[in-house]
Amino acid sequence: MARVITITSGKGGVGKTTTTANLGTALAMRGARVAVMDADIGLRNLDVVMGLENRIVYDLVDVVEGRARLRQALIKDKRLPELCLLPAAQTRDKDAVSPEQMVYLTNQLRTEFDFILIDSPAGIEGGFRNAIVGADEVIIVTTPEVSAVRDADRIVGLVEAAEKGTPSLIVNRIKPRLVNRGEMLSVEDVIELLAINLLGIVPDDEAIVTSTNRGEAAVYDQHSLAGRAFLNIARRLNGEEVPFLPLQDQPGVLERFFGIFGRRRT
Amino acid sequence: MSDLISIKGGRDGLRMRFDDTADWPALLVQLEQQLTQNQAFFNGARLTLELGERSLDEIQLSELLNLLQHHGVVADALSANAREARNAARAVGITARPLPRYADPPPGTPSLAPESEALLLTRTVRSGQVLRHSGHITLIGDLNPGGELIAGGSVIVWGRLRGFVHAGALGNAEVVICALELSPTQLRIADQIATTPPRSNGPHVPEVARIEQHQIVVESWENYKR
Repeated sequence: MARVITITSGKGGVGKTTTTANLGTALAMRGARVAVMDADIGLRNLDVVMGLENRIVYDLVDVVEGRARLRQALIKDKRLPELCLLPAAQTRDKDAVSPEQMVYLTNQLRTEFDFILIDSPAGIEGGFRNAIVGADEVIIVTTPEVSAVRDADRIVGLVEAAEKGTPSLIVNRIKPRLVNRGEMLSVEDVIELLAINLLGIVPDDEAIVTSTNRGEAAVYDQHSLAGRAFLNIARRLNGEEVPFLPLQDQPGVLERFFGIFGRRRT
Repeated sequence: MSDLISIKGGRDGLRMRFDDTADWPALLVQLEQQLTQNQAFFNGARLTLELGERSLDEIQLSELLNLLQHHGVVADALSANAREARNAARAVGITARPLPRYADPPPGTPSLAPESEALLLTRTVRSGQVLRHSGHITLIGDLNPGGELIAGGSVIVWGRLRGFVHAGALGNAEVVICALELSPTQLRIADQIATTPPRSNGPHVPEVARIEQHQIVVESWENYKR
């Protein structure tokens, strides 16, 4: 049975596309047949993050409007033959696709894949509604910021109203040092407010910036903490029990120095 | 609410009941008054119109809908016995229903105060969600920031109250707002408004807000009950 999972957030810039690319790659590395779909029509990004931009011939709107068959529009990943991307159209807007067409499209993908991950646009309008209409499950990505959590709360309400069940949560870009100093919302604070199931915690990691710019998922990088967190989330999606990574910053050289210095003085 | 128009809340939303026989223009005048007086309660509300035995044509109904819309009220549905009124509703594009089997007595019938009807809910009220009820509201669960509870009577939150609450929104100042953790973005009781200063994240005690000498005061439940 294929699972259609939409990744959404309400607020923009919290890491939906990065999460979609990394979870898709991680699931495919573990042997699943995965399609990732970019539902952000008019502002497509997923192809760039996955480094597949230059291979696009047809897109989602071409399929919906009958100019291309689904198989023609699906782009195979550079490394993983089991991973495919269905890119969004760049020259159209969200109204180019209807909810019925989205359901039809996801149902077609169900026959050939184990996982279909849909990268939702930000906001609560038509684009978001299109992204969740065909989904079996919804994952909400948030960062530990008050504004992002507020929007995530709104989205939980809308997902429940759309009868997609209670979504699960990924807290992205957590900075343990700031949390320890009480300057950042902790994961517990976020969970307490949203009251939904926690699927993963992804620490803030500079490796994400470089991997995104190179068009290569962070899960390939053995040393990336964020990459490991995404691999763990993929395992949890497969039903495995995986403990959460211990949240500790690797101290920088300067801090180690000051750390020793500080200890001597006390 | 008045002798010709009454408002009732139920699990399925608000219902506005009009007197069966009163002169229509006089009813509209009174409705306008009510909507203006209780703007805080009605603005943003969706409700069902209940006409009883009264008949309305399309022009009269449009007039009514315009008046409501002017005050930020949307009528989703209309229930009436008269076929003409139901046809008029369909013509202007709202759902028409025959009268419910257990119709409310027409306004003016002596009955319990409207606040005596309470709504009990077990859920989380999240950002962007609004619950509106003419009587009391008891919420078992959290009211998150960005969520709203608007009640004609008192509001009790068995959980964290972090959103917006308006109690006594139909003018009654003799109501209370209480919560296990009272950290609202804003509280209103009748026509008074209060914001709470940001507080430390220490342990919270149950608190009660009420009006004392035209001001909203908050005190711990332990003090209040003495």
